[in-house]
Amino acid sequence: MSLTTLDGTSDVLDARKTYNAALAKRADRTRATWFPLLLLALLLAFPAMQFLGNYNYAIHLILFTASYVVMASGWNILGGFAGYISLGHNVFFAIGGYFAGMIFARLGISTIILAPFAGLLCAVVGYGIGQITLKVRGPSFIISSLALVMIVRILFDHWEFVGGSGGLALPANDLPVRWAKLPYYYAFVVMAAFAVWASYKIKHSKFGLGLRALSKDEIKAESAGIDTRRYKTLAFAISAFFVGMAGAVWGEYLTYIRPNIFLIILVSVNMVLICILGGKGTVAGPVVGAILIVTFNEFFVATLGASEINILATGLVMASVLIFFPLGIVGTLAKSGRLPRILNWD
Amino acid sequence: MADALQILILGLALGGVFALMGSGLSLVFGVMRIVNLAHPALIIGGAYVAYWGFKLWGIDPLVMLPVAALILAITGIVLYKLVFEREARSAKYSEMTVLLTFATAMIVEGAIGTAFTNTQRVTSPDYATDAIFIGDIFIPTGQLYAGIVSLAIIGALALFLKYSRFGYAIRATTQNRDAAELLGVNVNLVGMVSFAIGIALAGAAGALVSFVFSFFPAKHWEWIAVLMSLVVLGGMGSILGTVVAAFFLSVIAAFVGAWIGSTWSTMTFFLALFIVLLVRPQGFFGEKPELS
Repeated sequence: MSLTTLDGTSDVLDARKTYNAALAKRADRTRATWFPLLLLALLLAFPAMQFLGNYNYAIHLILFTASYVVMASGWNILGGFAGYISLGHNVFFAIGGYFAGMIFARLGISTIILAPFAGLLCAVVGYGIGQITLKVRGPSFIISSLALVMIVRILFDHWEFVGGSGGLALPANDLPVRWAKLPYYYAFVVMAAFAVWASYKIKHSKFGLGLRALSKDEIKAESAGIDTRRYKTLAFAISAFFVGMAGAVWGEYLTYIRPNIFLIILVSVNMVLICILGGKGTVAGPVVGAILIVTFNEFFVATLGASEINILATGLVMASVLIFFPLGIVGTLAKSGRLPRILNWD
Repeated sequence: MADALQILILGLALGGVFALMGSGLSLVFGVMRIVNLAHPALIIGGAYVAYWGFKLWGIDPLVMLPVAALILAITGIVLYKLVFEREARSAKYSEMTVLLTFATAMIVEGAIGTAFTNTQRVTSPDYATDAIFIGDIFIPTGQLYAGIVSLAIIGALALFLKYSRFGYAIRATTQNRDAAELLGVNVNLVGMVSFAIGIALAGAAGALVSFVFSFFPAKHWEWIAVLMSLVVLGGMGSILGTVVAAFFLSVIAAFVGAWIGSTWSTMTFFLALFIVLLVRPQGFFGEKPELS
């Protein structure tokens, strides 16, 4: 049995190919693709409930969860796949929100149309910032991301053109109350579906494989021929794209843009926390995490009110998840082989 | 000229306080390799101890300083035992500890905010608003006292590290943990004690901060990057470096504030961080060099 024959075929390579195909087939059998599709269909049909009664609160909650799914899935591409933990991703949330919000206020173009462009702008900015900050990893990267938030906060607080620290009010749409939330609802649900689909695609591409390799050991990845520098800056740009898109529509939904909505630490912490809670580096993790965090948030705000208790509770959840389930819910279940099939989206 | 001298003196006065704020962070990083993002939140905790001592019983914040340091040292030991000891064998130690200290910062902020609300507070002993005049130049007594006390504490710490047996052990562990352990140093005890000392320094700094700055629970976010820039510029784990960096950057920030505008003075610290990042791509903490 020779390794390669003259016509380029090889028994070993063929055997490996069949083996890989068998593995992929088995993975496909355990994966329940119908579940996320069903979930998406249900979410798209949900607003029909408005004919029966007032479900605005439920719509708000789903929209809020979907917005976090977009952001956390985006964050996950850098933080989960590539292993670069950024505590400063709300910078892109702000840039997206301000870019789309300003054009919306001046020219009246809906932010839903502007969202992809806001995302692209954030991707470009992210690419530039990534060139500098991605030189370092681990704690240095985390600190540089925190410093970035501080710099951008000072800039936006004193940039009079965009309203300084007081921010800017945006016109509300003139739909009747019952339907007013729906454009944003659909925008966020579609963006969330896109973000989840994109992270699935990335995870199963050569690019995603490269990211996972460099998250384990950057030097080994580099010597295996992966252009780590390009890969991680690209991952930074893609993750900024999603966060920026979410920010664009969020501003119009709230009807105002202000630094202390976009540039508070709680927003970026929530992205990180959702991914860690759900499972960093998994496709379903950000979705599971977002549902849990939003539910949990609503519970605390409804029962206890004050935002300081909310910070305390968020901190406690984060610490206990880090200590007891460092792999997150999806990651821990998958490791012990007890992940329900409907959550296996990887 | 008098103007520049005045700005220089104000910058130096502030630098003294920042030096103490940063030195605890530097010590904890040196020995434990923990980048303690909760340090500024714990400083705020110390400030509240001094504040309530003054408000309820009229005790001078400088007298409350040892009390704040003691309370925070106990907090530090509890934190160490609860959270950081079990992380010692974690594969992603440095990343995990950063995230854990971040969570700790939120817990501390949330707990203080829940207990005492988010209003701005400041301790106001008589000297806090006083000033000494030398010719045209004035020195705010509050900042002067804070700077002197802070340098005295750092001096005591330096002597302790240099001449005491335990100080030897701490320095040995900073230089090489494994070698220190081989030579019979109880590195776990050293870790716990230096963590406690680091947090006690946060408490002491808090007592000084309470009459130098006005403070509220969420204020610590502004300080994280400021203190990090001092520790990073001074060379991680070097207390002397941190002190020098504190004076250097505070003076620059004072000049930037006076000549360009006060909103830009804190920017000095953040930009310093990024510049260090640009010229030292191997990382602030001597991580693995990157290939490119």
